[in-house]
Amino acid sequence: MIPAEIDAWRARMPRAFGPSPRGKALRMLGGVAFLAWLIGTLWMFEVTPQRIWNGLNGLMVIVRLMIPPSPGELWLDILRGIGESLAMAFLGTCIAAVIALPLGFLGARNVVTNTLFRFSLRRFFDGMRGVDSLIWALAYVRAVGLGPLAGVLAIATADIAVLAKLFAEATENAEKKQAEGIAASGGSSLMVMRFGLLPQVAPVMLGHVLYFFESNTRSATILGVVGAGGIGLQIAERIRVRYWDEVAFIIILMVITVAAIDWISGRVRRRLIGAR
Amino acid sequence: MLEIEGLSRRFGAKAAVDRVSLRIPAGQMVGVIGRSGAGKSTLLRLVNRLAEPSEGQIRFEGRDVTALRGRALRDWRTECAMIFQQFNLVQRLDVLTNVLIGRLNHRHGFLARLGSLLCQFSPEERAMALAALDRFDLLPTALQRSDTLSGGQQQRVAICRALMQQPRLILADEPIASLDPRNARTVMDALAQVNRDGITVLVNLHHLDTAREYCGRVVAMQQGRVVFDGAPSELSPARITQIYGITEAEFQAEAALAVKASPAFDMPRQTALA
Repeated sequence: MIPAEIDAWRARMPRAFGPSPRGKALRMLGGVAFLAWLIGTLWMFEVTPQRIWNGLNGLMVIVRLMIPPSPGELWLDILRGIGESLAMAFLGTCIAAVIALPLGFLGARNVVTNTLFRFSLRRFFDGMRGVDSLIWALAYVRAVGLGPLAGVLAIATADIAVLAKLFAEATENAEKKQAEGIAASGGSSLMVMRFGLLPQVAPVMLGHVLYFFESNTRSATILGVVGAGGIGLQIAERIRVRYWDEVAFIIILMVITVAAIDWISGRVRRRLIGAR
Repeated sequence: MLEIEGLSRRFGAKAAVDRVSLRIPAGQMVGVIGRSGAGKSTLLRLVNRLAEPSEGQIRFEGRDVTALRGRALRDWRTECAMIFQQFNLVQRLDVLTNVLIGRLNHRHGFLARLGSLLCQFSPEERAMALAALDRFDLLPTALQRSDTLSGGQQQRVAICRALMQQPRLILADEPIASLDPRNARTVMDALAQVNRDGITVLVNLHHLDTAREYCGRVVAMQQGRVVFDGAPSELSPARITQIYGITEAEFQAEAALAVKASPAFDMPRQTALA
C-alpha cells in the first residue's frame, strides 16, 4: 500500500489511526495525575530506597533467625491454637452463611419488588461491609470477653453483609423461566424461592461459602492478636520475645492448614458443582 | 496444491477422520458435506493442526505440514486462515483490533512484538484493515465493539481478519450455520469473492444447495471417510440417498438440528466466583 493511500484512509477515518487530540490530551493528563499521585504518596510516607534497603536487611535478619524452624516446648499449645482458629473460621462462616441466606434473597431484585426496602437493605449491607472483622473483634472482646467466642462473632458479623450481597447478586443472575414454572404450578412465593431459585443459586452460594471458609482461616489467625482466640496470640507473644524459629514453625503449619482446606474445598466444589 | 494422504485422527477406538486422501489444486473452492459427526470439522482442524493427526500426511506446495513445530507451525497457521461457526472474535475488542489480530504473526522481532502487546500497529496495517472492512461494507463499524455487531457482520469481520493474514488457503468450518439465510448469503458471497482472488477455500457446509451453488467441487464424508468427490452436478438427490441412505430433505433437517444442538451454539452463562 502506497503512502498516498494510507493518507487517504487516515483522512477518511482518523480515529482508526489513534485517539483524537482531545483524547490524547486527556490520556496524558490522566497519566500525569496518576504519576503525581504515586510520587506524592511516596514522598508523603518518606519512602526512600535507603529505608527500603535497611528494612530488607532487617527482614533478612529475621529470616536468618527463623532457620531452622522449631516447635519449641509448647507444641501442643500450638496445635490447639491452630485447631481453635480453624474452628472459629468454620463456626463464623457457618453462622454468617445461615443468616446471609434469607438476607440475600431479600436483597435480590427478582425476589423483593419493593424498591425502597431492597435499596435500604443493600445500603445497610454496604455499610456493614465497611467495617473489617478486626474492628468487630476489638468490640466483641470488650462485649463478651477474651476468647474464641469474640472471634467467631467477629467473623460472622463481618461476613454476613458480604455473603448476603454475593447471594443477592447470584439470585439476580438466576433464570426467571424456571421460577415461573413453579409459580405456574401454584407454588407460593416461598416455594418459588425454594424450588425455582435455590437449586440454581445453591452451587454459586456453596462456592462462595467454601472460599470464605478458607479466607477466614487466614483472618482467624490475626484475630487472636487482639485476644479473640486462636493461634494469633501465640504468634504475637513469640514475636514479642523474638522466638522467630517458633514463629516460623507456626507459619509453616498455617500454610499447610490453609493449603489443605483449599484442596479439600476444591474437591468438594468440583464434586457438588462440577457435575452439571 | 494441498495434498492430504491417508490422514486419520482417532479418539480411542473411534476414528473421526479415517484414511482421507485428497488433492486440492490452488484456487479451488471445495465444499465438504456430511452428517454431523462425519469428521468434517476434525478434517479442517487437522489441516491447520489445531488437532494432531494420528497418522497420515498433509503437504502444502510439497512442504510437510504435519512435521511443523513452533514458529514454522505458527507461520503455517497464518498461511491457512480459519473461519469458525461462532466467528471466534474477541467480543470486547473493537472491530478494527479484531481485524488487526490477523497481522500479529507478520510482525517479527522483539520491538514489534512489544508493540503488538501495547496494541501498536503501523498506519499501513491500519489502512489495510480499513480497506478490508470497506470491501465488505463494514467500514462504519470499525471502531465499535465486536459484540454490538450482528452475526453476519461478525462473520464478515472474521473474514477480514483472515484476509489480513494474507493466506493462501481459507478453512471455513460451518461459517453460515449460525446465520439467517440473508446473512448466510452475504458471508458465502464474501468467501466466493475471496476465492476469485486466488485463495483456495475449503468450506464445511450442511446445506447441500449452498454447496452446489458456490463450490466447484464437493467432497462428501461419512463416518470419517470420503464417500464422494466430484462436481456438484454429479451430486443428484438420488446420489445423496445412495450415499447416506436418507433423502436430501432429511439430510438437511438433521444437519440443521445438529448444528443448533451443538454445545457452542448456546453456551450457558457462567456465574463468576468472587
